[in-house]
Amino acid sequence: MSAVPLTIHKYSAFSLSRIWTLATNTVTQLLRMRILWFLVIFSVIAVGAGFAFPAMSPEQQLKLLKDVAFGALQIFSVVVAIAATALLLPRDLEDRTLYTILSKPVPRYEYLIGKLLGVLLLIGGGLLVMDVIFSGVVWLKQSFIIADQIAALEREQQASPENISAVKAIISKYGLTASLHAGVWAVFLKAAVISALALLISCFASSTLFTIVITFGFTIAGHGQQLARDWFLHKHLTVGWEKGLSALIAIICPDLTAFDLVEPAIRGDVISSAALLSVSGLALLYITGYTTVAYLFFVEKEL
Amino acid sequence: MSRKLIGLFLFVVFGLAKLPVEDRVLGSLREQNLVESPLNLELRENIGQMGFAASLGGLRSLVASITYLQAYVAFEDVDWGRVDSLMTLTTRLQPHEPEYWGDASWHMAYNAASNYMNNQDLRIAIRKKLFRDYIQRGIDILDEGLRYLPNNPQLLTRLGDIYRDRQVDHRKAAYCYLTAAAHGAKDYYKRMGAYQLVLLDDRDSWEKAYAILKKDYDDHKSVYERKDMARSSVMRDLPILEQRLNIPADKRIKPIVPLHLIK
Repeated sequence: MSAVPLTIHKYSAFSLSRIWTLATNTVTQLLRMRILWFLVIFSVIAVGAGFAFPAMSPEQQLKLLKDVAFGALQIFSVVVAIAATALLLPRDLEDRTLYTILSKPVPRYEYLIGKLLGVLLLIGGGLLVMDVIFSGVVWLKQSFIIADQIAALEREQQASPENISAVKAIISKYGLTASLHAGVWAVFLKAAVISALALLISCFASSTLFTIVITFGFTIAGHGQQLARDWFLHKHLTVGWEKGLSALIAIICPDLTAFDLVEPAIRGDVISSAALLSVSGLALLYITGYTTVAYLFFVEKEL
Repeated sequence: MSRKLIGLFLFVVFGLAKLPVEDRVLGSLREQNLVESPLNLELRENIGQMGFAASLGGLRSLVASITYLQAYVAFEDVDWGRVDSLMTLTTRLQPHEPEYWGDASWHMAYNAASNYMNNQDLRIAIRKKLFRDYIQRGIDILDEGLRYLPNNPQLLTRLGDIYRDRQVDHRKAAYCYLTAAAHGAKDYYKRMGAYQLVLLDDRDSWEKAYAILKKDYDDHKSVYERKDMARSSVMRDLPILEQRLNIPADKRIKPIVPLHLIK
């Protein structure tokens, strides 16, 4: 019998393959929680909204379809980002999976990055599927509306090339455009930042409920950060402690309004690649910052 | 120092360091009209707490759609006060959405104004006053919308329609149509502006109208020389302007015999 050659891999302090394994396991773990049922609900909402309110103007019908679908997308992404991330550490502790993983030469930062990446993969995958369904429904609706409008112009003997192109231009602006996908990307970025924040909070939180409530509070405050700054710093209040409070909100909360590109996406406005790049950079900054702080809390956490 | 304290310190430092980045990104997004300004705080008196929270939570567009639908129900109930307040709320939630300004003004200047004018229960003087007031309300709404969306062609053409059809102010209608055409509205709004200028009584307006219509005629000569175009507005107004401006005979357009006069 010949001896099997023994291969010794050099231990690396940072391994992408370990992180990927952790991430894919996290996706499996979350899928078992039947999170993807939301996709079915979303599809029903999108198709329902697509064919509701036929009495409204064509632009309004398309706008309403996008409003409802984007609303569902945002709710899905924020709920999954908060709830799934908040559940990760406690579930691993409860199942004792955490001890199995950390007893191996897996650094804690790899564990955290892997978990976060898993949640982001799930949200990203879900949003991608929803984007495809959403785009399909918008395109169908848009095609029906354009055909209807041209038929109406022909009935009124007004179907001049000028009128037809005007109708197509107006309806297409509210229909399927590249900015719709840019809007979905912005929704993903917002969810990614909220996930990183939830992970940070869960590293020192005493319970899952605490993580969910506090992260939800941060999310609301993050959306109102501009309003709070305006309210406290500029217009109405001059007292020192009020200014201090406004500064505190600005420091501890991420400004989530930067990711609200849904409205221009619904209007069909062009979202430049420079704007997308700057927003993506901001999201990366938040994620890096919050994950680094999360690691510093997690490394001393008694398990 | 424990790592938790370092973490806390880093969190605060990070919070301070991100502020200028946030300001820069948001400033750039606002310049491109991609992100709305913060809501007016007085709005909290008008909107339910849940709606307000949701509008803060990035669902502002969805909340605006809901208030728009409520306004539509109020329109079906012929409750003009409620239509006005709900449409005001809708436009405040999404001030960069021209459709909402347009619909809000249409409800006032057309639906409400005509409804009061046709209300036989009211005295004629009251009916006329309400008719004028609601048309003015429609104009005010569009003027406010134009502050958020300067020179928006959609709002300018709507404003032009109101001046043309409801207030019969040809000068203002012409200004709106021509400004809209200069800012991206379809080419026929330039012609519509010219048709309004023809109805005025000063030479400057006629010259301006003539220049627009003659250029359009020259650009589409083969179309306008067709028999079925004899009754088009361009072929109706150009001879009138030629006569008023004493255009030499050799520069006048070729008259077309209308189809119905051909045996």
